[in-house]
Amino acid sequence: MSNLKNHYHVLIIGSGFSGMAAASFLADYDLNILLLDENIHIGGQLLRRIPEKLAEDSPHPPEKIKKIGYNFVEKVKEKKIDLLNKTVLMGVYENNKVLVERDRKETFTFTYDFLLFATGARERYLPFKGWTLPGVYSTGMLQVLMKSWGVLPAKKMLIAGSGLFLFAAAYEFLKNGGELQGIMEQSPFGNKIKFLPQVFHQFPKFTDGGRYLSKIYSSGVPVKYRRRVLEARGDKQLEEVVVGKVDRKGSLIKGTEKTYSTKALAVGYGFVPSIEAPQLAGCELEYSQQKGGWTVKVNDRMETSVENILAAGEVTGVGGAHKSLNEGKIAASTILEKWGLQSEAFPPKKVKKLQKKRKHHLSFVRCFNSLYKVKPESILEIPDETIVCRCESIDMKQIKEAVGMGCADPNALKISTRCAMGKCQGRTCAPVIYDILQILCRKTPQEIGLFSVRPPFKPISIHALKNFSQ
Amino acid sequence: MKDLRIDSVKRKQKVKLTVNGRKINAYEGETVLAALIAAGYKTLKKNPVSEEPRGALCGMGVCFECTMAIDGVPNVRACMTEVQEGMNIEFDE
Repeated sequence: MSNLKNHYHVLIIGSGFSGMAAASFLADYDLNILLLDENIHIGGQLLRRIPEKLAEDSPHPPEKIKKIGYNFVEKVKEKKIDLLNKTVLMGVYENNKVLVERDRKETFTFTYDFLLFATGARERYLPFKGWTLPGVYSTGMLQVLMKSWGVLPAKKMLIAGSGLFLFAAAYEFLKNGGELQGIMEQSPFGNKIKFLPQVFHQFPKFTDGGRYLSKIYSSGVPVKYRRRVLEARGDKQLEEVVVGKVDRKGSLIKGTEKTYSTKALAVGYGFVPSIEAPQLAGCELEYSQQKGGWTVKVNDRMETSVENILAAGEVTGVGGAHKSLNEGKIAASTILEKWGLQSEAFPPKKVKKLQKKRKHHLSFVRCFNSLYKVKPESILEIPDETIVCRCESIDMKQIKEAVGMGCADPNALKISTRCAMGKCQGRTCAPVIYDILQILCRKTPQEIGLFSVRPPFKPISIHALKNFSQ
Repeated sequence: MKDLRIDSVKRKQKVKLTVNGRKINAYEGETVLAALIAAGYKTLKKNPVSEEPRGALCGMGVCFECTMAIDGVPNVRACMTEVQEGMNIEFDE
């Protein structure tokens, strides 16, 4: 990477739909653009596919939105955009400066005029006894293994959690010849029915949903609603999963426990925006259960509260590719306007249209995330011996004790127990801990607050720091 | 151990990895994690606090449960690292 510049007009963090869309439109102007992504391949989560280097791509015709996405991937590669893959943002500092690490080998700093956070979302978890056993995976990992690498985690498995993504993962697993032992959905069947008109109203996602369900039902896979995973058991690896029925309030109905013998379980409980980088940059955050939890607050031009920092995509509210794409375009139009460039791609009328479209997307966002609302019972019924923070092996009992001693906010809890201090820096447990604190302390999310973020906010290699190049 | 690769994916270039002293097959373009899962490995480390066995959870760089020593560099995420011919991989099984 010898031709990198020290200064970029636009620095984009994340190469999913919103990051790519913004980069691609901005590249038509005389601007220096740097697009960073932590992954090996650009495109974000939805556009995962078998890399060319590994194998010939399987001939499944992609859905329309993915086609649009793959076109962006090509455009981003062709246009004059500096692309850095395998690159992790480590810190955002004063005077428009960032620190990044590439491939655990070297570190760089860059300065920018405009910074766009397109950091996306990650999976939400609900801890249960034994969820740290090898053989328990997220539904995201199941999808990544199949879609990016053509591998199944096991020939036979169980899928559990809540939301439509369970069904998407199940569909993919069946399509690839896996034997699915069942789908255990936490919410009642009715939630899905309520949701369908909204999806139908706005997006072609309805047809995807129909395809998933018909494949699953015709395969004879048992689909059970109002089921919660209570325990994963096994000596050194997963051997059994205990599932129980819950009532309307989400409380376990005693005596309904059923044990499944299985070597693999995938769990998914929806998504949370990845806000750490914008949080560190000082961007104002806002909490909205209906947007997926803590999100970056933006205006209708995708500007955050910090001057010249914008945010687009899942990080402003979890809502899928259409929303991300649209917000990436809006962000590009804002940057062009602020730069004083006459933009043919975004006349004022077009921008208004994009903003109007965004309002529709936000109504979908509200509906989508309401499916993942955590019921107090599902937190209160987590047994004491359940690990909450995986990295530091902190269990529910330790958390309850610390709360009992007066730790009523995440940072006090962190100092007292070491939770969220491990390698993942709370990326897995923080959303759960916020929910636990809210429920145990009977406070609002705003009163509870967030874990503080400091650079480097992911583990950085000393070797890379040594090879620091300005 | 059984190979968990999906048959319909027509792979190109085979590479050999050394996993805790054993040779396994992988394919160019795969991640270390994909190659390990395909070869049947599930336990990838001992948690440093509880010493319980752990395996990958997220597969996309978030959870850090698949960090291991790759070619002598400790704490590398297997899910974010592409395999290379002759790569040496070490972890607590």
